[in-house]
Amino acid sequence: MLNRRRAAQLIASASAVAAIGGTRAASAADKIIKIGADLSLTGADAQGASRVKNAITMAVNAANDGHAVPGYTFELMILDDGTATAGQYDPAQAATNARKMVSDPLVVAAIGPQMSGAGKAMTPILSQGGLSTITPSSTNPDITNPKFAAQYRPAGKPIYFRTVTTDAFQGPNMANFFAEVLKVKKVYVLDDSGAFGVGVADAFEAQAKKKGMEVLGRDRLDPKAADYTAILTKIKSLNAEAFYYGGVSQAGVKLAKQAYDIVPTMIKGGPDGMTSADLLSGAGFPAVEGWYTTIAAPHLVDDTKAAEFVKTFKGLFGTAPDDYSITAYDAALVVIDAVKRVAATGKPVTREAVTDAMLTAKVPTIQGVVSFDANGDLADRTVSVFHIQKDPSKPLDDVSAQYKYLQVAPQS
Amino acid sequence: MPNVASLLATVPEARRQQIAIGTLIVLAAIFPILIDRNDADVDSMANAAAYATLALGLNIVVGFAGLLDLGYAAFFAIGAYTYGILTAYQLQPPWNDFWAVFQTLGLATPVPADIGDGMVVHFTLSFWIGLPLAACIAAGCGVLFGAPTLRLRGDYLAIVTLGFGEIVPIVVRNWSDLTNGAAGLNGVAAPRLFGWSFGVNSVPYYYVAMLMVAALIFISIRLRDSRIGRAWMAIREDEIAAGAMGVDRTRFKLLAFAIGAAFGGMTGVFYVAKLQTATPEMFGFPVSVMILVMVVFGGIGSVWGVVLGAFILQLLQSWWLQDLTEWLHILGRAVGSTTLQKIDLIESIELIFGVILVLMMLFRRQGLIPAVRPQAALTFDQQHAEVRRGGFSGLNLQGLGGDKRTGEIALDIKGVTVRFGGLTALNKVDLQVPTGSVVAVIGPNGSGKSTLFNAITGLLDNTEGSIRFHGDEMRGLPPHTILKKGIARTFQNLRLFPNLTVMDNALIGQHARLTTGVFKAIARPPSTRREEKAARDWAMEVFAIFGNRLVPRVGQMVLGLSYANRRRIEIARALASRPRILLLDEPTAGMNPAESLELAEQIKSLNDLGLTVLLIEHKLDVVTRLADTVYVLDHGDIIASGKPDEVRQNEAVLTAYLGRNAQAAVAGVA
Amino acid sequence: MTFADLLLQQTINGLSLGAMYALLALGFTLVYGILELINFSHFNVFMVGSFVGLWVLQQFGLSGQEIVLAGLPLVGVLLAAFVVTMGVSGGIGVAIERLCLRPLRNVKGPAAMITTIGVSYILFNIVLLTVGADSKNYPNPVPAIHYHIGGAVLDLRVILIWIVATILMLGLYFFVQRSRLGKAMRATAQDAEAARMMGVEVDKVIIMAFFLGSALAGAGGMIFGLYYNFTSFLIGFTAGLRAFTAAVLGGIGNVPGAMVGGILIGLIEAMSAQFLATAWTDVIIFSILVLVLVFKPSGLFGRIAPTKS
Repeated sequence: MLNRRRAAQLIASASAVAAIGGTRAASAADKIIKIGADLSLTGADAQGASRVKNAITMAVNAANDGHAVPGYTFELMILDDGTATAGQYDPAQAATNARKMVSDPLVVAAIGPQMSGAGKAMTPILSQGGLSTITPSSTNPDITNPKFAAQYRPAGKPIYFRTVTTDAFQGPNMANFFAEVLKVKKVYVLDDSGAFGVGVADAFEAQAKKKGMEVLGRDRLDPKAADYTAILTKIKSLNAEAFYYGGVSQAGVKLAKQAYDIVPTMIKGGPDGMTSADLLSGAGFPAVEGWYTTIAAPHLVDDTKAAEFVKTFKGLFGTAPDDYSITAYDAALVVIDAVKRVAATGKPVTREAVTDAMLTAKVPTIQGVVSFDANGDLADRTVSVFHIQKDPSKPLDDVSAQYKYLQVAPQS
Repeated sequence: MPNVASLLATVPEARRQQIAIGTLIVLAAIFPILIDRNDADVDSMANAAAYATLALGLNIVVGFAGLLDLGYAAFFAIGAYTYGILTAYQLQPPWNDFWAVFQTLGLATPVPADIGDGMVVHFTLSFWIGLPLAACIAAGCGVLFGAPTLRLRGDYLAIVTLGFGEIVPIVVRNWSDLTNGAAGLNGVAAPRLFGWSFGVNSVPYYYVAMLMVAALIFISIRLRDSRIGRAWMAIREDEIAAGAMGVDRTRFKLLAFAIGAAFGGMTGVFYVAKLQTATPEMFGFPVSVMILVMVVFGGIGSVWGVVLGAFILQLLQSWWLQDLTEWLHILGRAVGSTTLQKIDLIESIELIFGVILVLMMLFRRQGLIPAVRPQAALTFDQQHAEVRRGGFSGLNLQGLGGDKRTGEIALDIKGVTVRFGGLTALNKVDLQVPTGSVVAVIGPNGSGKSTLFNAITGLLDNTEGSIRFHGDEMRGLPPHTILKKGIARTFQNLRLFPNLTVMDNALIGQHARLTTGVFKAIARPPSTRREEKAARDWAMEVFAIFGNRLVPRVGQMVLGLSYANRRRIEIARALASRPRILLLDEPTAGMNPAESLELAEQIKSLNDLGLTVLLIEHKLDVVTRLADTVYVLDHGDIIASGKPDEVRQNEAVLTAYLGRNAQAAVAGVA
Repeated sequence: MTFADLLLQQTINGLSLGAMYALLALGFTLVYGILELINFSHFNVFMVGSFVGLWVLQQFGLSGQEIVLAGLPLVGVLLAAFVVTMGVSGGIGVAIERLCLRPLRNVKGPAAMITTIGVSYILFNIVLLTVGADSKNYPNPVPAIHYHIGGAVLDLRVILIWIVATILMLGLYFFVQRSRLGKAMRATAQDAEAARMMGVEVDKVIIMAFFLGSALAGAGGMIFGLYYNFTSFLIGFTAGLRAFTAAVLGGIGNVPGAMVGGILIGLIEAMSAQFLATAWTDVIIFSILVLVLVFKPSGLFGRIAPTKS
């Protein structure tokens, strides 16, 4: 029987659920649980951020629709750390957002930020507030490095989790692959000025030297500039056998195009930032043909899950997901799983309980089973290598079709 | 409400200001309690306050001194990294005894090295030392960046500063040993007060930020209303006139850069201490532009305006728009409108800023709180002019002139030649002005009269020959030094400071005679107050030369005054500098005969007081009335000189002035 | 690659870049020469131009890299695309002048410049919010023909770009030098007041300067798209800033100066990538700018700007 109080609750929770964008019916009397999200929705990084936002929304809606956690309804609290003042992500705004999340008692976990610079500003606040966050894309190793524990987790517990590996693995493992499998002797290293790109390229360069490769040079691309022909001409003139580009697709698209014109036969490699639909649609074939790229996860042979995700994502938002849509989706899955396991024990869903649950997570996600080490980094440090080979029978911007899996990169 | 308004009207203006400021202080102090210690909003306010201090710094450069700076964030970055590097785990030289001194000072401490088992230095600069240190370093960089741009005009200056603004973040990004590059600094220390760390508690940061805003408002206002501020505004209004009135342009421009940069550097320290990290992206071109927008939005040159502008624009994006978007969504849910639910104001924030900026420029250029406020019109009585025609024995003009007609040569010009490209504007001009006399230079248009004045006052850098004043060589000296030596001038086309008051114009005239420096201007000790009062008294005495034409208007902007009055102000401004010789370039141009006569009488009286006068004049009756000696210039040559009556008869002069035919006609009449 | 080949190749790279900077620099110089105004909206007129060109090419059924034209169809499509792009961009320039800048014509100080910053923000965000932030693939209808000169490679595409840029620049130069309106422009640049008294319609001249400058920026935007095969909302800033530097380097207000300045900046960029590092390109460019301004404040070829006293 529907009494007045119950009806009121129903309306309240229905309107709350509608905030996520769905029109589905929610279970009445569900407790609301908020997941914070700090993304760079304005400025230079807006595009990637909106995909991350879409992926999280998709995961949370699916969880609510499927009653993944009985008795609880998830609500997203999406905050923008991009400001017009900075023209892109703004660490100061990220810190403010961290405070907003911490001060809302309904927020039990968070997703984000996208940038390590924002992460460095947020973690001291999140740690004091006991709120854990999972970043889908910030890869600077310092934040989870125990050496800086006093700085980034002053309250003790790890609160910065990642569904991506840090720069410390992708770059070196790819250097191993270059040296051991491709037998590259002379390599040139580029980055895209961003924290991720510089970190990966630094790590690649160090390992390449260790492996006895001759690093012919190291340079930095301005992602806002358009012309990389001069530096590519220089690489050509140095008779490099290969170049490695640490960075994301913003500069990567232009680099791939111009590299095809100038050094078409050279071995070209990049990190997961180059394992992306953006590269396929922005640079396209034949320019991207032959690039070696990595992802910081094991490759799943039975990859129907990923294909399904891509299909659903496209259907919902009209654009192809990129790599960070997947890591963001996975991050949301991890949070939902943690809440689910806490709720299953019957204990109150607190921040501390969720953090503890994440530390013991073993969540099947699109990129494989995610679990974390004691610092919050991915436990599985497998780096998979792909090779772009045109498959005309499939959509040309389909990552799962056009990137051919080669092998696990040799661990260092 | 009318009651309150009328009540307020009875309170004197100064009192009202005090009440307003007091209310502001109380509101700022209890703000965290008012909003129930909402951590995020307090934090937003602290960030906004940091931007207010940046806007105040840029306002000194752009608003006061009129130097368009598009790279101001560079100083923000320099301050931030100064403190950041000296507290983070970044710069870690090996530990040795040298560092022990720093350890005792609390600036460094030994920590175990990452690699090997040695010890390395971990710098532990205190926040409170960091503030002044970063201010000094940023100020030094301000001078460094400013120096090559001094000769450049506004627009070029803009592009060069933009260049520096681009260069600094690139250097930060590429010099990763020092700055950790794009990854950002690790472990920048939070401020400590008596051993207690601010940590991530937003409230103490808020109070520090508010104190900084208050201090910088105070400093800005004190500087603005001092000899320093007047010199800046003189440069802003008219650089050449500023130099000619004794302002050392190089020095004061660099001073503006330095002080502006110091504000930016201090803010940088605060900002990174609060964030505990710094990345190069925090200091890019958009930041410089946004600070400029804050200044423009609030009101260029207006201290309270730029603070308000910074708070509004910063809180809009970090606080209000997010809330507003949320409310719209709630409203949308309530009324079932999906359009309302989809609106995202935050994504459009830059668009909103663009529109605000254009609309402000088109419809309210002076900003939210204009720097210059309209003034009440004069009453009829005040407007009613009492004309004074010289003979001002009752005036207390001590210290002006006093030179006897000893026959000694005051100004001795020998062989002065000035060439512009192929044109010889002055050709070996010789001219003497005896002490205590009035010498006039006449000649047709383009004969080189104003060029002669420019050569004497140091505005030209291609002068040959010798210009001696009481025995000292003036050629090659900068204009402000020449004024200090006692040569003051007026300009043919009037070069007043139009957006300043009549009084300020006269005070700038005294610039070289006053001594107040930056610290005295801020602290305003009794000696400075006395100096300022004496300067104002002296200006009033000078204004009194012109009867009550200027005296009731001392508080008005020059811009709105009549042409004749502006001429008088320019003379008053020159006289305020206590010159030994006054160079008047067509002082009666644009005056009617009565006004010309009035001015001639006044000049005569000044000469009677012992002021030497060199005069360019077209009106021959004025020349005849005033001059002891007349020189005639034509095409850069002195073609005649002597007593006015002699020169009038000179054939060469008649030819030059009237042409041959006219001369024949004159001869025919004679 | 021999050293000579390398130099030749980098010169080719630099000239292509330089041609684009020069086209953009001309717009800055025309407007600055007459109004003494740094027009920041020019940055994004260039960006919008590249999107207009993209749209026109798509109307011809061109998308992606697959479709290649030759002969008359190629010339026809490119001609149409350039005409429409330049017309639309020019129109945007005129609209900016009429709506936002004319009311500020006689206002001293930075008001007009700040307005152009506002307009720039508006254009930038309209594009961002309508077409999205991702890079757009730009059609390349020019056949991929490479010419080898020693070890250096020269594309047909590059040659075409040089030809178009040269035609446009020469066209502008002769327009300014020879035509009635061009002479009026030069007169206005020297002394607007005197020009007005001599019967020059200054308003018309200013409109023309904005139209021509923006049209050239639009053409530059389209060339950008054709050359790099992509466009995005972000392309305006870096290119615009370097082009403005080029205009100042050549002596702002000076039409041939802007062309030479643009080419120089392009060459500097290419050579600094070769011999120093791209990481320091902006530092090098701005250092050169500062040095030129300090030692030769009027730029390499002398500035031509109104004499305001």
